[in-house]
Amino acid sequence: MSAAELMVEPAPETGAASPLMRLSGLSKAYGSVTVLSDVNLDICAGEIHAIIGENGAGKSTLMRLISGHVRPTAGTIQLGGNEVSFSKPTEAEHAGIALVHQEILLADGLTVTENLFLGREQTRNGVVDDRAMERIAAERLRELGCTASPRDLVGRLPIAQRQLVQIARALLEDHRLVIFDEPTAVLTTTEVDTLLRIVRSLRDRGVAVLYISHRLNEVEALADRITVLRDGKMIGTYEASALAQEDMARLMVGRELSMLYPPKRGTSTQPPILEIEHLSVPGYVADASLVARTGEVLGLGGMIGAGRTELFEGLLGLRPAKVAQVRVDGKAVRIRSVADGVEAGIGYLTEDRKGKGLLLRERLAPNLVLTALSRIYRKPYIERKLETGELDRAVGEYDIRVRSKRLEAGQLSGGNQQKLLLAKIMMLDPKVVIIDEPTRGIDIGNKSQIYSFIDALIRAGKACIVISSELQELVGLCDRILVMRAGSIVAEFSGEEITEEAVVLAATSGKAKAVAGGELQ
Amino acid sequence: MLKRNLLAAVALSSVLVAVPAFAQDKKVIAVSVPAATHGWTGGVVYHAQKAAEEIQAAFPNIEVVVKTSPSASAQVSALEDLTASGDLDALVILPFSSDELTGPVQSVADAGTFITVVDRGLTDPEIQDLYVAGDNIAVGSTTAKFLVDKLGGKGDVVVLRGIPTVIDDERIQGFQEGLEGSDINVLDIQYANWNSDEAFSLMQDYLAKYPHIDAVWANDDDMLLGVLEAIEQSGRTEIKYALGGNGMKEIIEKVMAGDPMTPIETPYPPSMIKTAIYMTAAQFNGQAPVRGTVKLDAPLITQENAEEYYFPDSPF
Amino acid sequence: MTDITAPPVREPLLQRINWVDIGPFVALVILAVAGVLINPDFLSATNITNVVTRSAFIAIIAVGATFVISSGGLDLSVGSMTAFVTGIMIMFMNSLVPSMGANAIIAGMALVLCVGALAGLFNGLIVTVGKIEPFIVTLGTMGIFRALITFMSDGGNIPLDRSLREPFRPVYYGNFIGFPIPILVSIVVALIGAFILYKTKFGRRCAAVGANEDVARFSGISVGRVRTLAFVIQGICVAIAAICYVPRLGAATPTTGQLWELQVITAVVIGGTALRGGKGRIWGTVAGAVILEMIANLMVLSNFISEYLVAAVQGVIIIIAMLVQRFSKQP
Repeated sequence: MSAAELMVEPAPETGAASPLMRLSGLSKAYGSVTVLSDVNLDICAGEIHAIIGENGAGKSTLMRLISGHVRPTAGTIQLGGNEVSFSKPTEAEHAGIALVHQEILLADGLTVTENLFLGREQTRNGVVDDRAMERIAAERLRELGCTASPRDLVGRLPIAQRQLVQIARALLEDHRLVIFDEPTAVLTTTEVDTLLRIVRSLRDRGVAVLYISHRLNEVEALADRITVLRDGKMIGTYEASALAQEDMARLMVGRELSMLYPPKRGTSTQPPILEIEHLSVPGYVADASLVARTGEVLGLGGMIGAGRTELFEGLLGLRPAKVAQVRVDGKAVRIRSVADGVEAGIGYLTEDRKGKGLLLRERLAPNLVLTALSRIYRKPYIERKLETGELDRAVGEYDIRVRSKRLEAGQLSGGNQQKLLLAKIMMLDPKVVIIDEPTRGIDIGNKSQIYSFIDALIRAGKACIVISSELQELVGLCDRILVMRAGSIVAEFSGEEITEEAVVLAATSGKAKAVAGGELQ
Repeated sequence: MLKRNLLAAVALSSVLVAVPAFAQDKKVIAVSVPAATHGWTGGVVYHAQKAAEEIQAAFPNIEVVVKTSPSASAQVSALEDLTASGDLDALVILPFSSDELTGPVQSVADAGTFITVVDRGLTDPEIQDLYVAGDNIAVGSTTAKFLVDKLGGKGDVVVLRGIPTVIDDERIQGFQEGLEGSDINVLDIQYANWNSDEAFSLMQDYLAKYPHIDAVWANDDDMLLGVLEAIEQSGRTEIKYALGGNGMKEIIEKVMAGDPMTPIETPYPPSMIKTAIYMTAAQFNGQAPVRGTVKLDAPLITQENAEEYYFPDSPF
Repeated sequence: MTDITAPPVREPLLQRINWVDIGPFVALVILAVAGVLINPDFLSATNITNVVTRSAFIAIIAVGATFVISSGGLDLSVGSMTAFVTGIMIMFMNSLVPSMGANAIIAGMALVLCVGALAGLFNGLIVTVGKIEPFIVTLGTMGIFRALITFMSDGGNIPLDRSLREPFRPVYYGNFIGFPIPILVSIVVALIGAFILYKTKFGRRCAAVGANEDVARFSGISVGRVRTLAFVIQGICVAIAAICYVPRLGAATPTTGQLWELQVITAVVIGGTALRGGKGRIWGTVAGAVILEMIANLMVLSNFISEYLVAAVQGVIIIIAMLVQRFSKQP
């Protein structure tokens, strides 16, 4: 791309006193594949420096180089004017660099406190001092707005809380440079707000912050400077004030992003395809009823923990639930398991595609056909040809980009995994597709594709329910939105009523204005 | 050393002759043995129960309680239970292991109970009043002497041994002592854990390794069963003798039938527990208590005397 | 970083070889070469035949264990279960001799397959319906089966009726087109096992359940049913092994199958199946069983290893075999 196409010129070199960290000509290659080449970057104390780019642009590699997880093949890292070379993460940590991982890396079987202090337990007289550690943990959690108790088992916490615990762990000690790798991917609006506040306060204390995110609105709100990566190359560093979100997107993608969301279809007037009456999941959902119709995308909003995921897991017998009646296409059905759901025409994409959606160490074709085994094979035995044929079809249809069909699912990027998961569910030819967090942790190009797939399946006569914690997505994609709060469906919006403000209000406060369909209960 | 048969006869007759006294206190003899987990202990349990039945039938004033325990610690607990439930007049015990049971038996003895120890000794021999045991060294040496005699003082033999324990060591020691002075060559000695399957495998390997074998000795009859199958399968004809030891009834049957490959047997009979119980019981019928050490001999069982060692109802 | 969208590259041949798949066979060959160097008799037809025949029991049971382990379970009871079903089989056949004669063997085989399947079902149902760790469940049933055989035999042994020994004997000692029957049986069992595990929907589901139970559940797979069936397959394999075992020594004893569970698990793991579940490797398992028996054979055939150290040398060889596999994986 030529410089003329860029709407924004790179910011001039800041003449400020020596930066905290300077990267010069930093490159990383695995064998013949270069994943990052010639990155030159200054990071100053007291600034929030955002790194943006599509998945595969090299952001995570850059973070891992800085934090000592991998070593560069060329180039240098200077810290406080001295060249450093970390051979392992703990060395970087000792030098004052903390990394908040994108993936949650906590021990499920330990308590919050034990996780926070894992490997750096405080002792008194040679004995682990639980009391002191719990006190500190409680304080840190409070600062982060995390409601978990220090004694809770991490495995029992919702994902968002775990992410906060992970952040608390990274911030337990004072660091000079804190790297956040997609920290908000699993957080809801209020939690994101708390996090942004924390990031700002770190900056104000003089800490350098590297912030990686897909969420351009966060970057816009937070960053002082922005560095854009694309295809392993550095496109440039810009003053944040000079970039609007559209500019960022354009720089990242390198092409016009005509429209992220397909045009809406309008409120459907077709007969209901899925009707759920009085569904309760003990501890999560109290007496929820909903109706989905063909021809529309029904959104389900609310905070994490409001019971959205649990509602559908309960519907499919994945957790204990009680329901008065479920009808698909007007016919009453009894669903006790996912298999029953499939039989009835309900397909469900889990929010946790790595933990519950795909077998990461299995190849693509077996993953694709796993749920549909009985559908594609009438006989008890398997014919490889049949499923590789299915894979070829799915790869084309859903634009799954793979180097080789022999890859394992875990070797795909998040976006391609999500497409594979979508293809896996679509193999069942469901009448209703329920997609939980359709674009969590995937880049903007893939997002846009997923939205168009959703649009296409609606146009093909199916119904789609989208659960999302991303307000923008919910508002941009859905024709009708139900909002859940504390286990109940509290509001419904459609058409012009759908705005981010309305949904947030309904999701967070009891005083939501009941609109069109109003509060059920 | 008393001959086993003689001794058993003496003990038995003395008990039977004595007239049961009226209104005498009921005497309690506790018998603690390992649970039946393999052939030999199975035999011990059988003979202990047999002895208990016989004595109780003959003498209403004597009660014999038999307790089996699957492990050393369980045996310790069993001892505690036995002593807790009332005054014991005598305890006959076949200890699981010498070290672990010495203390607990000591405390039983301190209460004035008559202690008879069978087979495995305690670490402190002062505790016991009576010690009845088989002679493992004799098991080995009797077999060895038979082979020296029959092979004419020369030949190649292979040996299968059991589990590394004192019993196993003593049998091997006795065997080697028995061969001393002859030209019999021990080609190989390996462990087969007193297990017929492992003995089968080991014997197959011996046969592959050594082109000529004159005789095989498995120091336990369970192993001998595997050895015999392996020899039969190999079709090898030069092997003259395959001998065992312990007095398993299947092997005694072979001896009685005059099997040419297994013409003899050396006993280490589980019935020693019965002898010990009878000797202990004798004192409650007016006999003077027998004290000291009684080593049961390991005589050669041949076709002529095999009948005496044959207990068709015993599991062993 | 997992999302490198490089152009498709044809992997070099050396990298396309799956070392986990062929590792056990490489180890087998290395061991055989070492064997010949130690003692030329090792390669004699009789010795090789003996060793492979002996490994049949472990191999057959381990094929079943591959299913259980692949589905994320573990069965510690196989050794005692072998002893138990063997005992049942012999007692049943002995009782039929007066009425059926040698046909009692056929009836015994049919019965033992049912008993094995039921014993496996018992394990499986406690694991899946009772939702208890398979380790604990099968530790419990291990004790139960062992106690039952001890009880049934009064601690002694349960001999096969003399009239049945000769007609039954060929099942272990016999040959068919030059191959000992137990070897043929284990090859057939492995063939069927491989077919089920690799070529059927059940096999696919089995691996899915072991790789990630949640993914399996969310994919509409009945996790409990798959796991239970894996235990039933294990039970049937135990019964098949028992059928080959009985004619060998013609008796069941309380020491029958002692510690076989450990040999079976070792064979499966040497074969390349991960103990935590996921993809099972039937042929690797069979190779693993032969490796174990071969090591034991070499210990006896070698002249330089003290009888006291045999177990230690075996342990070292197994660990080396696993390390070689571990490090020969692609980086």
